[in-house]
Amino acid sequence: MSDFINESPDALDETQLPKRKEDANDQLLGSLGTSQALDRKKLLLKIDHSTHSPALQNVELLDKLLLLNSVPELTSDEESLDDGENEVDESNNHKINDIVASSQEDVELADPVDPQEIYDLTAHISDPEHPLSLGQLSIVNLEDIEVHDDGNPNHMAEIIIRITPTITHCSLATLIGLGIRVRLERAMPPRFRFTIILKKGTHSSENQVNKQLNDKERVAAACENEQLLGVVANMLSTCK
Amino acid sequence: MSISLIKSLKLQNNRAWATDFTSQGNILAVASEDHKIKLVKITDPEKKQFKLLSVLDDTVHKKAVRSVAWRPHSFPPCLAAGSFDATVSIWSSVPGEFEGEDEEEELDNADEDMELLAIIEGHEHEIKGVSWSYDGMFLATCSRDKSVWIWETDEAGEDFECVSVLQEHSQDVKHVSWHPRKYLLASSSYDDTIRLWGEFDDDWECVAVLNGHEGTVWSSDFEKNTESPESIRLCSGSDDSTVRVWNYQGEDPDGQQEWVCESVLPKIHKRQIYSVSWSENGLISSTGSDGSLVVYKETQPGQWEILAKKELSHQINEVNEVKWISVDGKDLIVTSGDDGCVNIWNWTQ
Repeated sequence: MSDFINESPDALDETQLPKRKEDANDQLLGSLGTSQALDRKKLLLKIDHSTHSPALQNVELLDKLLLLNSVPELTSDEESLDDGENEVDESNNHKINDIVASSQEDVELADPVDPQEIYDLTAHISDPEHPLSLGQLSIVNLEDIEVHDDGNPNHMAEIIIRITPTITHCSLATLIGLGIRVRLERAMPPRFRFTIILKKGTHSSENQVNKQLNDKERVAAACENEQLLGVVANMLSTCK
Repeated sequence: MSISLIKSLKLQNNRAWATDFTSQGNILAVASEDHKIKLVKITDPEKKQFKLLSVLDDTVHKKAVRSVAWRPHSFPPCLAAGSFDATVSIWSSVPGEFEGEDEEEELDNADEDMELLAIIEGHEHEIKGVSWSYDGMFLATCSRDKSVWIWETDEAGEDFECVSVLQEHSQDVKHVSWHPRKYLLASSSYDDTIRLWGEFDDDWECVAVLNGHEGTVWSSDFEKNTESPESIRLCSGSDDSTVRVWNYQGEDPDGQQEWVCESVLPKIHKRQIYSVSWSENGLISSTGSDGSLVVYKETQPGQWEILAKKELSHQINEVNEVKWISVDGKDLIVTSGDDGCVNIWNWTQ
């Protein structure tokens, strides 16, 4: 018997993957960014009517770079020494924050996250050992994505993804799970908690893999491992 | 009875993993994912006065700093830090000009300038926890390599000799904590157990295994002030969303200890509990993935109730650690979150 039991798994064609009916708004939501960035993109779309417009793509790139560079200066918190004026400032800030929060709320409440959005983020991740995507190999399936989200940006939300490895002793199950977690943690706002588990009965060491995939400290350490990150970056390079 | 936020200190964008407080100069050391150790002086909590004193040499650790611990009874102050880069760094204040004259003044000056004293190597993988024995004689470290190491050191804290490598855990060791008055060490593990270690003729041995949690045990903390001197109790927090209190029953002629799980605290957390802390006044607090900060009180022996709860204590972020500290006689709670903030909470009884 061949060592490569998993040489030619059943695969779906790219066009067979479950999709939402395309419209410009959906394409907007997939990318990261602040609400201002989103508004800006909507504005540009009105002008150009295409997500492929170079202007839009440049602005989006810029937004992404700005996000990367937004580490604040270390402040020594000296401002806390004065009290009276500061309090006034703080209460003003609160008002501004409230306004921002409520406007964000409106945007998100109108469109809480749904399984399709999570599917679109993860289905195009490449399998580490096949030239195919997790969606094509049915490792990630739309019906195995569970979302608990009320859309309120001030609440925590939970997403549970059950993955189906191609074979029951797939040694790469943890790597696939890590790829999905890294993809989601990068693309989704921090209020989301992700639980990534193997679908019941699909793997010989289910509990072990599940425990590892959801151990925060191990994931954090894995994300500081250059070699592992390189592999994950490769898997994510096919994401749309 | 309530928990109220005094100040949220945004120290970085990356997650804050843990803190440790020393009353020598009222300094809070902060361990964070950005490879750095930061020192924050708590000048006057009532007036919300905090000052970032310094960021220790950030080229020392190549990966996240996971935990920090001040060495008790050390003059000048001495700090140990464990990192995912598998090393432990030891820091000490540069002895100031005031040495031997005015201790108070020397401490205040010295704290601002800490220098690397030693790097301890030995663990194979990420170090998750560091903890000093009550007298500062021993340093315990634990790692993903499944081992707990016990190091003996000299007064200066420059030489570290490994006196024991304890390998009985079958998985990662997440956390170590010492008893406040005895040579008794508790280690919490990914193998769902807590092990207790005691000293026998210059060697260290496992004296008890606490089974009961149904998931990774993330941290444990001993009771500080007990009713009777013989009483020993330990609280622990786990992935299974419960906080348990364990009670020492006695030991057999071979030194093996008997422990029972005395209580499971009222279940209130919805997700993993990452940290527990037992205050000098007998209160327990817990926090974790759901962001809630909870304080429990023992109403009758073995009976606990929830005194106060603060939901979303770091907004929508997970909270990695909770610690009771006492600043000039005032009880405060310190939490470290994924939002890069260290929050200082007032506790009013």
